[in-house]
This record gives sequence, C-alpha cells and structure tokens, in this order.
Amino acid sequence: MNNSIVSNASEVSASGINASDITRILFENFHPNAVHLFYVIGYIAIAVFLYGTYVQIRKYHRGQADGSWGELLHRFFDMVKTMATHRTLVRRDKSAGRAHGLIFLGFVLLFVGTSIITLEYDILQPLFGLKFWYGHFYLWFSLVLDLAGLGLIVGLIYMMYRRKWLKLPKLDYKRVDRQAGDADFDRSQYRREDWAFLWSFILIAITGFILEATRLVWLSGRPVVWDYRMWSPVGALLAHLMQAIGFSADGAGTFRTGLWWFHGVLSLTFIAFIPYSKIKHIFTAAASLMFKDPLAGRRLPRVPDDQKTAGYKSITDLTWKNLLHLDACTKCGRCQEACPANAVGAPLSPRDVILSLREFANHALSAKELPKEAELDIHGKGVGQVFMETLWSCRTCLACVEICPVAVEHVPIIVQMRRNLVEAGEMEPLLEKTLQTIHKTGNSFGESKRKRASWTKELAFEIKDARKEAVDMLWFVGDYASFDPRNQKVTQGFARLMHKAGIDFGLLFEGELNAGNDVRRVGEEGLYEFLATSNIQSLDDCDFKSIVTTDPHSYNTIRNEYPDFGGTYEIQHYSTVVKKLIEDGRLPLAKKLNYKVTFHDPCHLGRFNKGYDAPRDILKMLGCELVEMGRNKDNSFCCGAGGGRIWIPDPVGSEKPSQNRMKEAAVIEGLQVFVVSCPKDLTMFEDALKTSGYEGQFIVRELIELIDECMEYVAPEKEVVEEILISQVVIQDVVVTESISLT
Amino acid sequence: MKILVAVKQVAALDEDFEIRADGKDVEEDFLLYDLNEWDDFSLEEAMKIKESSDAEVEVIVVSVGPDRVDESLRKCLAKGADRAIRVWDEAIQGSDAIAIGQILAAVAKKEAPDMVFAGVQSSDQSYASTGIATAAYLNWPHAAVVADLQYQPGANKAIIRRELEGGMLQEVEINCPAVLTIQLGINKPRYASLRGIKQAAAKPIEEVSLADIGLSAGNVGADSSMSRVRRMYIPAKGRAQMIEGTLAEQAAKIIQIINEFKGA
Repeated sequence: MNNSIVSNASEVSASGINASDITRILFENFHPNAVHLFYVIGYIAIAVFLYGTYVQIRKYHRGQADGSWGELLHRFFDMVKTMATHRTLVRRDKSAGRAHGLIFLGFVLLFVGTSIITLEYDILQPLFGLKFWYGHFYLWFSLVLDLAGLGLIVGLIYMMYRRKWLKLPKLDYKRVDRQAGDADFDRSQYRREDWAFLWSFILIAITGFILEATRLVWLSGRPVVWDYRMWSPVGALLAHLMQAIGFSADGAGTFRTGLWWFHGVLSLTFIAFIPYSKIKHIFTAAASLMFKDPLAGRRLPRVPDDQKTAGYKSITDLTWKNLLHLDACTKCGRCQEACPANAVGAPLSPRDVILSLREFANHALSAKELPKEAELDIHGKGVGQVFMETLWSCRTCLACVEICPVAVEHVPIIVQMRRNLVEAGEMEPLLEKTLQTIHKTGNSFGESKRKRASWTKELAFEIKDARKEAVDMLWFVGDYASFDPRNQKVTQGFARLMHKAGIDFGLLFEGELNAGNDVRRVGEEGLYEFLATSNIQSLDDCDFKSIVTTDPHSYNTIRNEYPDFGGTYEIQHYSTVVKKLIEDGRLPLAKKLNYKVTFHDPCHLGRFNKGYDAPRDILKMLGCELVEMGRNKDNSFCCGAGGGRIWIPDPVGSEKPSQNRMKEAAVIEGLQVFVVSCPKDLTMFEDALKTSGYEGQFIVRELIELIDECMEYVAPEKEVVEEILISQVVIQDVVVTESISLT
Repeated sequence: MKILVAVKQVAALDEDFEIRADGKDVEEDFLLYDLNEWDDFSLEEAMKIKESSDAEVEVIVVSVGPDRVDESLRKCLAKGADRAIRVWDEAIQGSDAIAIGQILAAVAKKEAPDMVFAGVQSSDQSYASTGIATAAYLNWPHAAVVADLQYQPGANKAIIRRELEGGMLQEVEINCPAVLTIQLGINKPRYASLRGIKQAAAKPIEEVSLADIGLSAGNVGADSSMSRVRRMYIPAKGRAQMIEGTLAEQAAKIIQIINEFKGA
C-alpha cells in the first residue's frame, strides 16, 4: 500500500488531501479472524453455487443433441443486444419491462462494481501491487453504484406493488388444466418463491445503503470520507437522517458491525442460491435468448429416420436446448395472456406446459442416477405430466413463442409431444379420420383428386396446366381454396386478377396434394413427409419461376419447411404479388371503396412470416379506411383453425376463438367489412359472425374479393363477379345465394 | 400361439367412375384401394389378445391379391402384426368368395393357427361369406358377426357374443380353433401412423403361390367358382321432383302424390 501512495504522490488535491486516501478501506477495524471467517463463508457460497450449476448442466446434458451451436458469436451479440435494449421485456408491458430494466441495470452495475473491488483487492493488488480504486475513479464509482442501487430498489418496489396490488391475471399461477385440490393446482410455492426473491433482493439493497450511511456517520470525523459523502447521495441522505435521530459515531460503528455481517451473509446466500431458484434466470434466460431459433415453430424439426418412436414421450427425449428453455421461463405469463386457446377457457396455458415439464425435469433429471424409463413419461395425468387435452388445445399460432421475452419455444415442444400422441393413436376420432382421408385422397375434404381444379370450370378462360407447359408463376392453391364452395369464389376471383394482369400462370391440377402444414402441426410427421415429398416431386417436374398462393398455411410450409426436404422455391403470398401489380398499373382500380374495414392478420402470414404490410397497403390503395383491432400484427388473435384444430370440433357451449375475435371487431364503430386474407379465416369468421350474433352489423370478406370489386372486367366476366355492396339487402342476397348452393 | 387374421384390400369408387368395357366391373382407374373397414376391427381384436397375454402370441395377417395389396398389409404390420402373407397367382382373378375361402383355408392348414379372424364382410363386394367358407374348408367351428370375444390364448373354448336382429345378442361357447367373423364396433382400432407404416416396410411380407399351399390354378378363378359376375351396372335413378307453387298448391300436390302411391 505504501508503494502506491508514493507512486501516486502527484495526485494530491488542492485541499492537501491525498487522492489515494479517498477510498473505502475494506474490512476496516475487522479482526483478522473475522476476515478469514468471511472468506470461508464466501468460499462455501461459491462451492454451493458451483455444485448447483453442475447439477443444472448435468440435467441439460441428459437431453438430446441439438444443432443450434452455429454462428455462436452472432448469437451472442444478438443476445447482448436484446438484453441491453430490454426490447422483449418492454413489449406489451412497458412498466414491468422498465422496472425490470432498472433491476437488471442495478444488478449488473453492482455486480460489476463488486467484481472491480475483488479484482483489485484479491487479485491485482496482492499479485502485482496494482491499485486503482481511489480518488476520482472511486468517487465516480460510488456515485454510479449509488444510483444503480437506487434504481434497483425502485424497480423492486414496483414489482412488489405489481404483485400485491395490480392483481394481474397473468400472475395468477392457478392452473387452467387442473382442479382445485389437485396437488399442483395453485402452485403457491411459486408465489412464495417470488416474494422470497423480491424481499431478499430488496433487503440486500436497503442494508447496503444503510451500511453505507452507517460508515459515513461512524467516520464523520475523517475528512477523506465525510467531505466526499455527496458522491454517494443516497448514503449521505441516510447518514444525515441517522445523525438527526441521534446516532453517534461510536453507536454507528457498533451498529455497522452487525449490519455488515447481515448484509454480507445475505448477499452470499443469494449468490449460492442462484442455481437452485428463479434467480438462475439471470443465466438461463440469457442462454435461452442466445440459442433462440428464428424459425421456431415456422419450421418444425424433422424426425430422424432411425429414431425409434416419433416425438417426445420421455423427458429425456427433449433436447438440451428444450431443457434450457424450460429453465429460462420466469413465469411472466405473457404467453398465457396471448394464447387464443387460453382466452376461450381451453385447458391450455403455454406457461403451464413449460412449468410442468420443468418441474418434471428437475425432479427426474437432477438426481445422480436417472430414474427408470417408466418414470420419465411426460404424458399422463400425474404431477408434472402434460394432459393430452392440453396438447390438443394448441392452435400452433405462435402467439406464445412470439411474445416470450426469453425466447422459450413452446410450440415445437407441444408438436413433438403430439407426435407421440399421434403414434399412439391418442387423438379425436374425427382428426384420425381426417388424417386417414388425407392419406387416401390427398386432401382433407375427402374429395376425389380429379375434383381439385373443378372450380376452374366456371371461369371464362383456361388456366394452364403447369405439368404440361412452362409458366412464370405456379399457383399452389391449397385444400380450402380448392374444395370449399365459399372459398372457390375467392379462388376464382384471384384467377381473374392474375388473368387480367396478364400473368403467365398455371396450376398442378390433380398433381397438387394438401401442402401438409397443418398435418405437420397435428404431429403426423410421416403423413407430412409423404405430402411434402410428393408435392416437391410434382413441383420439381414443372418449369416455373416462382410460386404464388392464397393460402398462408401452404405458404409457410413451402417457404420454411420444404427446403428441409429438398424443395427450395421462391414463393410469395398473393398479397405481395397483387400489391406490386396494382402499383405497376397492371391491375387498374376502376373505383375506390369507401368501406370502413378492419384487418385480421392470419397467423401464418403475419406472425409466422412477417407479412403485415402488403394487405394493409392494398386496403389503403383500394380507398378503404382501416381501423385496427386491439390485437393486431404480431399480437393478432388466431381464428382457432390452426394446428389441425379445424379438424377437431370445439367443445359445445364454450366460446370459440373466432367468436372472441368477432366481439373484438364489433367494438369498432361503423365497421363495415372484416377483411381476412386466408381461406380458413374466411370459413371460420363467416361462421363466427353468425354464431356470435353480429350478422347484419358487418360482413367478412377476403381481401381478394375487395380487390375484385374494384376491377373492371370486359363482359361476360362481370356477371360472375359477386357484387359486394354494404347494405342489408345485399347481405340477405348473400344468404340466399349460399342457401341455393347448399341445395 | 398363433392368430391368423384374413384381410382384404377393398376398392372404393372415385367420383364420376366408369364401368369397364366388358361391363363386369368398374374401370380400374376409378378405384381407390384401402384396407377393408371390418379388418381394422378383427386385426385390433387379435392385437388386443396379443398385448394382454403373457404368453407369446403371433399375429399373422393374410390376404389374397396382387402387388398393390402389400400397401394394406404394411398398414397391418404397422399396427403390430408380426408378419404378413400374400397369396397371388394370375389364375386367382375372378374367384368368388368361396374360392377365396378355399385359398385362405389352405394357408390356415399350413400355418396351423389357434384362431382365424376375418371381417364380417368386405365393403366392396359384401358377400359376407369368405370367412365362413374358410371355416367350411377347414371343417372348423365358426361364428359370424362377433360383437364380443372372451378368449384366453391357448384355451380350447371361447365365449363370444354374436349380433342378431333387433339389437339382440346371442352368447355362444365355441370350441377352438375356430373361425370368427368380427363385427364393426367390437373394439376401437388403433391408428397406423404413416411413420409406422414406413417402418413396417422392414417387416416381411411373404409372397405365396398356389403351389406353396397345395393348390393349383384349377382350384381357383372364375371357372372354378360357384358363382360368376354377369354384369355390373348403375340402376336407373328413382324420380324426384321439386314441388312449386303456393303452400296450398304444394299441399294439394303432395296429397295427389300420396294418393297415387296408395293406388287410389
């Protein structure tokens, strides 16, 4: 120490105080044995921490391999960026995100601060005699850490307020899939853990400040301490308060000793507990963000050919990355809040699936020896097991994956578990029937392959057969657009648009099979492979430049999943194609529509593939006034048809997601048209409009129909176009037309 | 312990089908093939016995038909059957249900199973006699339209319930080995995932010729059958008409039609 004073002799301030004296003397007035005792406690804490970390890593190691190790540096910087900006935390919950930001920043700064002290005191000074923690550096350090501590406390107080008084449904851990009385129904241990975490953390921060103030009072006679007290403003304020209530320097000194030990031991205990408690999210959430898959849910994992059973049956079937994601969950409940199944009372909360599996993994994979195979089964009705009904409730809409602040990927896990259910035949009889139908006929309607393109017969022009001649654009139509009578009208409308714009396009006709997007999300991977490879075979036999589709489901799987099976194509959803055609003047708009509309983002176009803008731009070009619903774009609310749920009947008597959506739209005053751009949406919402009692208030239309309405076709085509006029009369007319087509 | 399950790949009609030039069947192009629905149930019944038994139970599926039948046999293998046998010879073409029964019986003699299951009927031809013909050629006891089965593998008796008219059930004790034709609804057939079907490709399908089972071309085919198809056709459709007019006119018209039918 003497050396450093000599070497820094030039840094003497004007007041004659030596800069090196402006510092905090560590363990001042401590008996050497007390210091040793503290070090012993410290080492024990570190050992406990390391053991816990080892157990966690051993747990992840018991999962399957995962190929997410690529681009590690890139992943790391992405993670740092997400954490630094708190982007994912501020989304849809600004106050909680900001409060967490304060806690995060406070913790990081205090941790870095403590590390700096350790670096000097335990490493650089004893080894190299290097000392820097004094003078200006020390003063700025004190100020920054004081503010960090203040921020930390403010953040923690907000979190306490939020838990105690805001009564947020998403922070209620009661489970939707369990009954009161079930062992894991209310999950009150989580609530207790939350509070233990908040209290211990805030106590560390508060005692830290009091400790600082006590030291100031105790050393108030020492100018190198007292004169610089304002560099730790919170401590100084408290010191004045302590003096005001009569603390003497000696009294403060005695008080300090006790408080010092309390603060120190509490802090070390906190650190030791990190791997055993929710505090571990500091590491697991960061790692989860780092190993985030940008295509999670959009491109589901393949089942290796040599794998014995499909999907996840045992906890050890999960990959280490899945297991890591489970541990990253902080129970914030944003996924549950966004989940369409949860919103209508289905027995599914994405958070509960994650937590169940986490509890299961912690129970089964943390012991030294793995339990017997039978005890690893994650399907069933036991504690920690996931119900079949829960898994089948999922619409694979990705609302949960989208909003998760720590990049938990719920949907791929759910689908993997469904794969196992499908293999065991544990599914709705109707779904089983549909899968068999798709296998047999290549479409979910059970129609003959020959009828796939029968909608073309009513057109006034021929559509090319892409299997026989080269085309610029190959139109992959999809099941609903091909076979559903209501959607066939839209399909014909799109054909007219393409024809009018002079696009050289063609179809696969009966060579097209169901694209397989939903079959894959149901979990019938074998059938998906069959459909995908058959379609890829058909596509490869054709000569075309790019693919267009009106079906977002087909769009997603061809775009994101076919490449895994050797089919890489340029594919566009029709909205981007038509937008360009209108902009280029190839589809002149003969009139403007003055409708007040709202737009429903299809999951597979919006959230899955970020196609938010093109449909909205088209609506604007058509002259429509677009009023957004509360849940839009990345938070769009699923129509309920995804993940194969269109083939599974919803329970009678409960609200359907589509009806819930209609309620949301109906709030918009003067709404005329509820615009969709997905065949399944059209089916779901036209039905929901009737069943939710808003019929006559507004209508549901495919965007194509609105575009079609603005077109001027040369006669005789015009007659085919169904005029859309927003009036009661025409709504009745539509009903009549439908009833005729039913007879 | 062995159970032999006789299955059939049946044809379903595509929309707008055409009759073959000789008028005796539908043009092959318009047929969609799949495993007979009844066979899902008889296979499941065999699988239930296999899975609930401590003793080794071998489930063998057998079918008479050309190459395409392998696809249906593979589905059975995917559901858990141990092995499959397919009997085929061009000469078999045109055989009636009795002739097929003779072939199946020949296979059964060779395999010597403890039980033979067949579907009550096939959904395309609906003779409901193949299983019974098999029993006749084997000279084994048989029971048709079995809706419930209590059987311990290896036992010399089984208790079955047969479906009768008017919702009646008949409980029968039958000596084993026996041939049972299984009715729909006796159990819940399992789903054969496509992955399972693909993996079942590794299981053997034994191709058997007539000679292998001690028969010759002279025993089978249309000429050796006791019945032959003369013609297949679509009967003229019944008349339907839309009644129009006011409610009173419509009512009057309906009364007139009813009276005509009554012969008034």
